[in-house]
Amino acid sequence: MNNFNPLIHSFPYLLRGAGMTVLMAATAAIPATVLGVVLALLQVFGNRILRASVIAYLLLVRGIPLLVLLTFAYYLLPLTGIDLPPFWGVVLVIACYYAAFMSEVFRAGILSLPQAQWDAARGLGMTRPLMLKIVILPQALRLAAPPYVSLCVSLVKATSLVSIVGLWELTMASREVVERTLAPFQVFIGAGAIYFCICYALALYGRHLERRVLHGH
Amino acid sequence: MADISSDASSTAIDVRPLARRPMLEISGVSKSFGATQVLCDVSLSVAPGEVVVVIGPSGSGKTTLLRCINLLEDYEEGTITVDGAPIGYRRRGSERIRMSERDIAAARATIGMVFQSFNLFPHMTVLRNIAAAPVRVKGAPRETAEARARELLAMVGLSDKAAEHPARLSGGQQQRVAIARALAMDPKIMLFDEVTSALDPELVGEVLAAMQQLAQGGMTMVVVTHEMSFARDIADRIVFIDGGVIVEQGKPDEILFAPRTNRVRAFLKRYNDRYRI
Amino acid sequence: MPFDLNFLARLLPALLEGAEVTVELAVLTIAICLVWGFVVALAQATRGPLGWLAGGYIQIVRNTPLLIQMYLVYFGFSMGGFGLSGFASGLLALCMQNGGYVAEIYRGGLQSVSPRQYEAGRALGMRRWTLYTTVVLPQVIARIIPPMTNQSISIIKDTSQVAAIAVMEIMKISEVWVETSANTYDVFLGAALIYLALTSAASLAGRLCERRFTFAQ
Repeated sequence: MNNFNPLIHSFPYLLRGAGMTVLMAATAAIPATVLGVVLALLQVFGNRILRASVIAYLLLVRGIPLLVLLTFAYYLLPLTGIDLPPFWGVVLVIACYYAAFMSEVFRAGILSLPQAQWDAARGLGMTRPLMLKIVILPQALRLAAPPYVSLCVSLVKATSLVSIVGLWELTMASREVVERTLAPFQVFIGAGAIYFCICYALALYGRHLERRVLHGH
Repeated sequence: MADISSDASSTAIDVRPLARRPMLEISGVSKSFGATQVLCDVSLSVAPGEVVVVIGPSGSGKTTLLRCINLLEDYEEGTITVDGAPIGYRRRGSERIRMSERDIAAARATIGMVFQSFNLFPHMTVLRNIAAAPVRVKGAPRETAEARARELLAMVGLSDKAAEHPARLSGGQQQRVAIARALAMDPKIMLFDEVTSALDPELVGEVLAAMQQLAQGGMTMVVVTHEMSFARDIADRIVFIDGGVIVEQGKPDEILFAPRTNRVRAFLKRYNDRYRI
Repeated sequence: MPFDLNFLARLLPALLEGAEVTVELAVLTIAICLVWGFVVALAQATRGPLGWLAGGYIQIVRNTPLLIQMYLVYFGFSMGGFGLSGFASGLLALCMQNGGYVAEIYRGGLQSVSPRQYEAGRALGMRRWTLYTTVVLPQVIARIIPPMTNQSISIIKDTSQVAAIAVMEIMKISEVWVETSANTYDVFLGAALIYLALTSAASLAGRLCERRFTFAQ
C-alpha cells in the first residue's frame, strides 16, 4: 500500500494518456464553443420557432447524462450509417453536450450587457451583424469568460467517461496499469494528481479572468 | 423639555437623583483604527428627552461615535452608560472589562439605531421586519408584537404597506419602516446615523418629519446629520466633532450663527458654499 | 425494430427497478451533501489549518473526475482491506465530489448577505443564534435554491457513472439490455426518458422551493 513503485514505473504511460485526454478535450472544446455561441445567438435573436427548438435541445441535453449519450452513440452511430472513427464520435457527442451549457453562459453574458450599449450601437446606425461583431460579442464573451473556463474544467473531467465506452485516454490508461500492477490505490491517486494539475491550472486561469472582469480592464 | 445645561464632563459615579440622571453618558471614549485615532477622549452626556445633533466634516468620527454607543464598534478606552447601565464595558476598580455577548445584546435591545442604508431585512414583509425583534429577542407574543407594529406603521404613515417586502418601497418609505423597527423594541434612546444621506432629495422630508414627531414625543435622540436646517429645528443641542474630539457644543443658534471657534466657522462656510443656504 | 411495444413492456419494469437505485443514490447524495457541504463551508470560513484543509479538499475534489474518485474508493479501498460495495463506493465518491460543489454554493450564499444585515440584527439586540436563524439563513436559503437545484440535477446525472463499478441502476441495466437484445433504439429511448423525468422532477421541485422561499430583491 505504501509502495509507490508501480506508479513511478507506469507514470510515463499515464502521461501519454494525459496527452490523449488533453487532445480530446481541446478537440471537443472548439466545436462546443462555436456551437454554444450559435445557440446563444439563436436563443436571443432568433424567431419563435428557432428559440423553441434551441430550448428543446437544451432541455433534452441537460436532462440526460453524458454517459448515456456516449454509450448509445457508441451503439447507435454505426446503426445510423454514420461511420465515424470512435475518437471523432465521442468528440462529437461531448461537443454537442457542452455546447448546451456553454450557450447558457454566453446567453447570460449577452443579456447582462447594459441597454445603453445596444442603444449606443443602434444610435451609430450599425447593422445588427456589425453591432454583434464589434460591440456586443466582445463584451459578452469577456463577461462569460470565467464561467466558460469552469465549463472547460468540467469538460476535461468528462473525457474520463469515454474510457467506459472503450476509448484510450488517461482513465483507461490508469485502469490498464491497475490490471497489470494490482496497485489501484497508488495508480488512481497518480491519475487523479495528473487530472488535478490540468484542471487546477485551467481553474486558476479562470480565477485570473474573473479578477480581470471584476476590476474591469 | 430638555436639560441643555447638563454637564458634558461628569465622569464620577452617578449619585444624582433619577430624574436628573443622564440618559446617555459617554465618558473618555477613545478609539483608533490601526494607527489612526478616530475618537480621542470623547465625553458627552445626554439628558432624558434631549435631542443632540452631531455635526462635523466627513471622517471626523461622528458616525464612529454613534456606532460605539451600541458597540457596533469596539473602543479601547472609556465607558458608556445608557440610563445608568453600562454598555459594552464595565469598570471593576481600575480594570475595564468587556461584558459578555449576552449582556451586550441585552444592552443593545434598549438602544434603537437607524442606519444610512436602511438595512431592512429583504426576506421579510414590512410587518415582520418590525415585529421580528420583539418576538425573537424579547419573547413577545406574535399577536402583541404585530399589533404594536401596526401602530408604529400608522405613526410613520405606512399602514397600507404592512404586507409589502422592502424592495417594493421607496427609500423614504424604507427608512420610515427602519425607524418603526427600531421603535418596536421600546428603546430608551434612538441613534440616527445620517439617515437621509442615501435618499433622493424629494424623499428626505418625510423621514425628517417622522423624526421631528418622535422628538416632540420626548424621545432621547442622538442624530448625526448633514441637514443643517433640520438640525436647527430639531436639536436641543448641537455638538461639533472634528478630528475625533468635540470642538464645540451649544444651542443650535449659537453653533450655527455665532460659533466660537474657527474650525466650526470654516466648516459652516464650506457647507453653506456647497449647499447655498 | 424500433418502438416495439412488447419489448418496451418488458423493458420498462427493469428500467424502473434501476431508477429506484438511481433515486436512492441521488436522494442520499443530495441529503448528505446539504449537511456535509455546510460543514465544509463553515470550516473553510475559519482561519488557520482547518480553513486550508477545507479549501484544499474543495479544490481537489472539484478538479479531479468523479470516475477516478469512484475507482479509487471502490478498487483502492478494497486493496487496503476495507472493501466497500459498489453502491457504498459510488455514494461515498458522489458525496465527496458534490460536497465540494455544495460547499462553494453555501459560501456564495453566505457571502451574498451583506455585513450590514448582521449589524442591523445586532443593533436590535439579537444574539448569534437568533441572528442566524431569523436574518442570515433565510436569505442564504433563498439565494442558494437555484444553484442547489442545478447541482441536484447534475447529481442525478452523475449517478449514471456508478454503472462503471457494476451498480445496477438505470445506466447499467440499459447496457445489459442493449447487449442482450437488438433493440438499441428502444433501450436508449427508455433510459433517456426516465432520466429526463427524474431531472425534470428535480427542476420542478426547485421551482416550487423558489416560489416558497425567494423574495423580491
